[in-house]
Amino acid sequence: MNRTITMNLSGIIFHIEEDAYDILNKYLSTIKGYFKDSEGRDEIMNDIEARIAEMLQEKVSKAKQAVLLSDVEAVISVMGKPEDFAGDTQDSEKKNTSDSSSEENKFSYPNNKRRRVFRDEDNKILGGVCAGVANYFDFDPIWIRGAFAISFFAFGSGFLLYIILWIIIPKAKTTAEKLEMHGEKVDVNNIGKAVNDEFEDFKKRMNEFGDKAKSPETKERIRTTAQKATDFIGDVFHNMIHVFGKIIAFLLVFLGIALMVGLLATIFGRGTISVFNSPTSNIHFSIYEFSSAVLPNGMPIALIIIALILFFGVPLLSLIYAGIRHLFGIKHKNRIVKYTANTLWLVGLGLVLYIGFEIGNDFSEETSVKQKIEITQPTGSVLHLDLKPMPDDDIDLTYNYRHHKKVKLGDWTMMSKDENKFSIGYPIMDIVKSETDSFQLVVVKSANGYDKKEAAWRAKNIEYFITQKDSSILFNSFFDINTVDKLRAQDVKIILKVPVNKVIYLSKRMERIIFDIHNINDAIDNDMVNRRWIMTNSDLECIDCNGLETVNKNKSDNTPTPASTEETKK
Amino acid sequence: MNIENTKAQMKKGVLEFCILSVLSSGDQYPSEIIEKMKEAKLIVVEGTLYPLLMRLKNDGLLSYRWEESLSGPPRKYYKLTPVGKQYLKELKTTWTELVNAVNKTIEKR
Repeated sequence: MNRTITMNLSGIIFHIEEDAYDILNKYLSTIKGYFKDSEGRDEIMNDIEARIAEMLQEKVSKAKQAVLLSDVEAVISVMGKPEDFAGDTQDSEKKNTSDSSSEENKFSYPNNKRRRVFRDEDNKILGGVCAGVANYFDFDPIWIRGAFAISFFAFGSGFLLYIILWIIIPKAKTTAEKLEMHGEKVDVNNIGKAVNDEFEDFKKRMNEFGDKAKSPETKERIRTTAQKATDFIGDVFHNMIHVFGKIIAFLLVFLGIALMVGLLATIFGRGTISVFNSPTSNIHFSIYEFSSAVLPNGMPIALIIIALILFFGVPLLSLIYAGIRHLFGIKHKNRIVKYTANTLWLVGLGLVLYIGFEIGNDFSEETSVKQKIEITQPTGSVLHLDLKPMPDDDIDLTYNYRHHKKVKLGDWTMMSKDENKFSIGYPIMDIVKSETDSFQLVVVKSANGYDKKEAAWRAKNIEYFITQKDSSILFNSFFDINTVDKLRAQDVKIILKVPVNKVIYLSKRMERIIFDIHNINDAIDNDMVNRRWIMTNSDLECIDCNGLETVNKNKSDNTPTPASTEETKK
Repeated sequence: MNIENTKAQMKKGVLEFCILSVLSSGDQYPSEIIEKMKEAKLIVVEGTLYPLLMRLKNDGLLSYRWEESLSGPPRKYYKLTPVGKQYLKELKTTWTELVNAVNKTIEKR
C-alpha cells in the first residue's frame, strides 16, 4: 500500500505515488535549473512536461490507475539525463554564459560532495549508528561495530555513547541523504541510480514475501519514503519532539527493565520484597513465604506465580516493548503481539481476582474462643505484669539475618519462625475489675474462616503462652499459628481481671500489648507502664503517679478530680 | 581530450540539420521527430530535443501549431518556415560538400 498524490501535469490529472512524485518533481526542477538562463525556459518546460504526461498516460490504464515509481523511472530514462540537456544548452548559451564551470555549479546542489553523517538504516543492526559512522569514514562497519561491542563492556560506556549517537544522528531518510551519507555527489543521476537500486531491492523483497508481505522492513520502507514529504518547519518541530520522545522512551525502557528484573528476582530468585523500610512499617518477605501464609490450602503456589507474572509482567513487557519500538523507530504494529498481551493480562487479572476471591472467602465468618488460664494468686497484694523477653522481640529489622522473614505494618508484626509456624504480634491486653476476690486471666482467641466451624478451629489452634513466676506473670509478645491454618485474621486478646484493692505493676515492656485500659487518671497506655495501679470500685487508679502530672499536664489541668482523689487515698 | 565529448560535439553539429531534414517531409510533433532520430541513433534521450526545437523556433526556422490529441495533452506540431526551408537548403549543400571532403580525406590515408 502506498499513498498517492494527485498531480496536474500539462493539464492531465494523474494519481501518482508519493515516492514517484518526489523523484519526478526533483527531476523536473533539476531540468528547470539547467535552463535557468535560457529565454524560452517555460516553454521548454511545458514541452517536456507535456511529453512526460503523454508517456505517463500510456502507462496508466483502468486496471492500473496510479503512476508508480517504475513508470517515472522509465520516463526519466527515455527523457535522458540532465547533463545531456546541459550539453546542448551550453552549446547554445555560450554567448550568455561565458564560464561553463560556474554554470555547472549553479546546476548542482549546494551541499554537493560534502559528506554528512547519517544513520544508515539500510544496513542497520540496531539503529544504524555504526553503519552510518562507518560510511562517513569509509570504514567497514564491522570495525566500528567491534569497537562499540568492546566498549559495551567498559562499564556500559559504549552503550551510553551508542544511545546518545542514536539520538543525535538523524537517519538518512531521503535518497539525497542516503547519497550524502556516502559522500557521493548528489545529482539527479545518482538519485536515480540509488532509487533504482532501492526499487530493485524493494521489488525483490516484495517478491520474496508475496502480496501478503507484512515484514517490518518493507512496511517501514514504504513509510520512510512516505515521510519524505514532511516540510522543513514541521521536520524541525518533529525532530524536537522525536528527541524528547526518545529520551522518554529510553527512560521507560530503563524503568521497565529494572522493574522486570525486580519482579523476576522476586519470583525466581526467591528474593525479598522490601517496601516501606521504616521503623514503623516494613515488609521483608518473599513471595513464597507470603503465599504459604496467605494462600488457601490446596492452591498451588504456581498459581500465584503465574498470576503475578501475567498481571505485573505483561504491562512491564508492554512498557519495554513500546519504549524500544519508539527508540528504534519501529512503526509497524504487531496485532498478534498486542492481542496476546491483552489476553495474557486478562488471564492474569482473572487469576488475581480468583485468588483474591478464594482468600476473601476464608474471611467470611469470624469466631472467637475464650480460654481461662489458671493462675496462682500472688502471695502479696501486688501482681507484676511483664512481657517475656524473647530474642525475636527486638529484631533489628535491617541487620538481623531474619529480617527477610518479617512483615511489620504499624503494630501488626508477622514473622516466619520455621517451616510450620508463624509468629504474630502482638496480642492486646485489657485490665478490668474482677467480680471475685482473685486474679483471673482470660485469653480470647479469634480467627476468620469459611464458616464458623473452620474459624473456631483456627482460633483454637492459636498457641499463646503465659508463664507465671511467683507473683509475676510473663506474657509472650507473640502468638503462634500453624502454617497450614494460614493467616486468617487471627488475634489474641488477654483480659486480666483484677479484684478490688489489689495492685498490679506494669513493666515498661508491657506498653507493647496493653491497649486502651480504662483508668481513673485517664492516663494513656504509654504513661501507664512502670507504675503500680490499684483496682478501685470503678477502674484502675494510679498509686505512684507523681510524675504523671508533668507528662500529662493538660489532662490533669482539665480533670482535677483524679488528682484530688489520689491525694485523699494517700 | 575526451573521445565521448568529441563524438557528442560531432553529433550535435549535425543535429539541427537532421531535425530540419526530418521536418522537411511534413509537419511533425516531437515524439515523431524523436522516433526518427532514435532510429538513426542520432539522439538517445528525448530531453535533448526540446531545447533544440526551442532554439530553432526562436531563430525563426520553425513554427508550430497546436493540435488536439485523442489520448493526452494537445500536441505541438512543428513546421519549417520559409526561412527554415532556405536554411535547410544551404545546410544540405554544406553537408554534401563536407561529406565529400571528409570522405576524400579518409580515403587518402
